[in-house]
Amino acid sequence: MKRVFSSVTDGRGFDLVLVGVPFTFLLALAGLPLLYNILMSFQEVDMFSLASVIRPFVGFKNYVDLFTEPETISILKNTVIFVVGSIAGQFLVGFSLALFFWINFPGASWLRGLFLVSWVMPGLVVGAIWNWILSGDFGVLNFLLQQTGLVGGNIFWRSDPNFSLWAVILANIWLGTSFNMILLATGLAAIPADLYEAAEMDGANAWQRFWTITLPMMRSTIGAIIALGLIFTLQQFDLFAAITDGGPNNSSNVAQYWAWDLSFRQYDFGKGATISVIMTVFVMFAATVYVRSTRHEVRG
Amino acid sequence: MTHQIELSAVNKYYGAYHALKDIDLSIRKGSFVALVGPSGCGKSTLLRSLAGLETISSGDLVIAGKRMNGVPPRKRDLAMVFQSYALYPHMTVEQNLTYSLKINGVRKAERQRAAADVAAITGLSNLLHRYPRELSGGQRQRVAMSRAIIRNPQAFLFDEPLSNLDAALRVHMRKEIRALHDRLGATSVYVTHDQVEAMTMADHVVVMRNGIIEQQGKPLDLYDRPANRFVAGFIGSPAMNFIPARSTPDGRALVLDIADPQTVDLGCPLPAGRALIVGIRPEHLTLAAADAVGFKVDVATVETTGAATFITTATTPEIVIALNGRSVVTAGETIRLTFAASNVHLFDAETEQSLK
Repeated sequence: MKRVFSSVTDGRGFDLVLVGVPFTFLLALAGLPLLYNILMSFQEVDMFSLASVIRPFVGFKNYVDLFTEPETISILKNTVIFVVGSIAGQFLVGFSLALFFWINFPGASWLRGLFLVSWVMPGLVVGAIWNWILSGDFGVLNFLLQQTGLVGGNIFWRSDPNFSLWAVILANIWLGTSFNMILLATGLAAIPADLYEAAEMDGANAWQRFWTITLPMMRSTIGAIIALGLIFTLQQFDLFAAITDGGPNNSSNVAQYWAWDLSFRQYDFGKGATISVIMTVFVMFAATVYVRSTRHEVRG
Repeated sequence: MTHQIELSAVNKYYGAYHALKDIDLSIRKGSFVALVGPSGCGKSTLLRSLAGLETISSGDLVIAGKRMNGVPPRKRDLAMVFQSYALYPHMTVEQNLTYSLKINGVRKAERQRAAADVAAITGLSNLLHRYPRELSGGQRQRVAMSRAIIRNPQAFLFDEPLSNLDAALRVHMRKEIRALHDRLGATSVYVTHDQVEAMTMADHVVVMRNGIIEQQGKPLDLYDRPANRFVAGFIGSPAMNFIPARSTPDGRALVLDIADPQTVDLGCPLPAGRALIVGIRPEHLTLAAADAVGFKVDVATVETTGAATFITTATTPEIVIALNGRSVVTAGETIRLTFAASNVHLFDAETEQSLK
């Protein structure tokens, strides 16, 4: 007891306590569930064996079964389209807005802050708003498209298998754009103004300055935002629940939503866990890219 | 064409703030011109206006015979060395040097040869593949210089390029920049707040204050014949002493307004019965024999560097005397000072303009 007490007063061993507390916390609340999930993906799990840890070991059967299911490939394809489409849209719109506000007209920073409103909204609320916008009969999006003459008839965004995935992507772009914009704006603001002056003296026009100064100086920020985008899009769940429920006929279903569907609607916990493990690998990859790109920031 | 850069009646406003007031300045081809003055005097604004990074509000700016008022910086063919160096952090030294060539479409082999040539002049040959973050302050400074040199521009613009270096390196780079200027025969405009830099490097010094040019000329002309009290006090180190005084009604002697007013006979005619400011440099004051012409002061402090001794008096305003070598004078003592009449500068008490 005395030793424990003195370890706090003289500081020795206290560092271990400081590391130990968050480490225990992480292990209990993130590490163990993750390991349990991996374990489940190699077991046969049903409603009756749910409470026990030791269950029949089936090796890679869950993985093999998963890839023989007819919907797997199309759902994985949807996931890729969702991730790429969302990230590309969020990044392009976000970067354009960041560059736009970079001009720094009166009220620019105030307006830029206002954009964050979309990001702080709960996914289900955003989903509800977009349900109104996307509505086939009376939605404002259809109205705009028809008034501008881009389409002839109503598009049933949420129930047409050709558009259902894009309906969610559209909402997700709207949701994530402002976060992209804020991070990219911070990156832009960190580029010293005299670099542009030096480049201007060196003969570069605005377009050349963008390609030779802005973009390379933004490399680490862009790497980070895309890695974070990958993580956030693979976490996106609420919008699917609110807008399409993965349908119709899995046309807008993606891996993360399917994992939940398998586990908690079809009670096929083994397969649900298997999808989660596959996704974890991708997220780990994204996390590595993120950590590396923040570490390799260019400093003058 | 002897004038490389000519400014006539140039004005610059920031909103209501009048930063440059009717600036007239001609810079000869191949000369080294220093713009010097306290912060906020407009010297940097003037340099940035030459560069095109600021647009002048009125007047004419002519570079190499062409009017350049609204021309963007990239079309002025001037190279600038920034105070912060502004090196491109994501490029190697070689890429930094050749950026302007690349922008202008020069082929890679040619760019590399040009970089190697310039690096040989500035001593960067073995650093070409390093990044700026891997260089010391002095090396970065050299890269900034080389980046300007490689372009062979109409003129070099320097914006306080030495202010981020330590004192020893600054003295060294001062000589190096001047040597480079002579070697390249280029026109250089150099902004600094340090009058020693201006005096030692430039052929032509322009002293500015509050957006106007107070005086311009050869460095020693400014030292010997300052046009007004400001220039007199700004040029020279330690700074010139200023003593309020009045000339006697017959215009034969000066009454110095220190402690108890003392009369000094200069032996030359003065404007009679007038309020004046007497300016005299510390190095022009000497200790006087007890019976010689001069004035009495009490000594407050004595500082010696070995090579020189600086005596500060207990008078108001205090007077600094710079003596060569060492002195037996101690604090608290009363001494007599004298000076040659030819070294005295007289300024009108009201207008502060020189009366000589």
